[in-house]
Amino acid sequence: MAELDDIIHQPLRLKIMAALNALPAEVGLEFARLKKLTGATDGNLGAHIETLAKAGYVSVDKAFVGKKPQTTVTATAAGRGAFTRHVATLQEIIAGKQV
Amino acid sequence: MIDSKQASDAMADIEDTVRRVRQSQIYQVSSLALLMWGVLAFVGNIAGWFWPRYGLYFWFAVYAVSAIGFIALSAYHRSKSRIRVFDGRYMLTFALIAAFGIFCCYFGHFTPRQQTVFWPIYIMLFYMMAGVWFGTAFLVIGATIIALTLIGYAYVPGISLLLWMAVVNGGGLIVGGLWMRRS
Repeated sequence: MAELDDIIHQPLRLKIMAALNALPAEVGLEFARLKKLTGATDGNLGAHIETLAKAGYVSVDKAFVGKKPQTTVTATAAGRGAFTRHVATLQEIIAGKQV
Repeated sequence: MIDSKQASDAMADIEDTVRRVRQSQIYQVSSLALLMWGVLAFVGNIAGWFWPRYGLYFWFAVYAVSAIGFIALSAYHRSKSRIRVFDGRYMLTFALIAAFGIFCCYFGHFTPRQQTVFWPIYIMLFYMMAGVWFGTAFLVIGATIIALTLIGYAYVPGISLLLWMAVVNGGGLIVGGLWMRRS
């Protein structure tokens, strides 16, 4: 019986992983766009991205575009796998296969 | 463990986020296309105002440049994001829309003034339809340009209508593109 992933299950982290998982592999989202898509604040989003990065679910790349710093967050293969399993578990719960 | 209601809520959150990501991708590439079409519509109307006899040729050139430009924008976006937002089906759709517009003009025997407002209204109708599926920004841009075009048709006399259309159609698309970019 599959278990829910505690790291992904937190609502904002679930949205972050859903957004990154909607993109092709190795394509990331800039911090500002991720913030707009999830409706999170800077500090909150940064903290949750760090949690996901520590778990190896996302990679964070910091670069300069012109003179502006730009942070890009990308789902790793491990993150995509964990998200897929998490969604499958949610579907099982909805279908009543897990109580 | 969570119950099925909480699981359904989580799935709804996921679906909503995925929808937002897809809409954001469409807005990114569409905003560039709108900016390009805005500039071309502005130039086409201004050129038609300066040299009215060659208006038809200017518009053929505008449509040819916009088709090539759209292909280039789609390719640029794809190379940058590796996401294919538009493909050949969209080009075929645009070709069919243009063909039906030409059909209407030919059998409708429109005057030049009527043609000046027909094309923006006709094309904006499809923007509004796109808005139903891809995001309200298209709906707002389409409805605003149609309303302003009709006001111009009713109240702006003679060839000045082309200047009105340069601002309303060209300017409207540029403002709409910039707004969409920020959405």
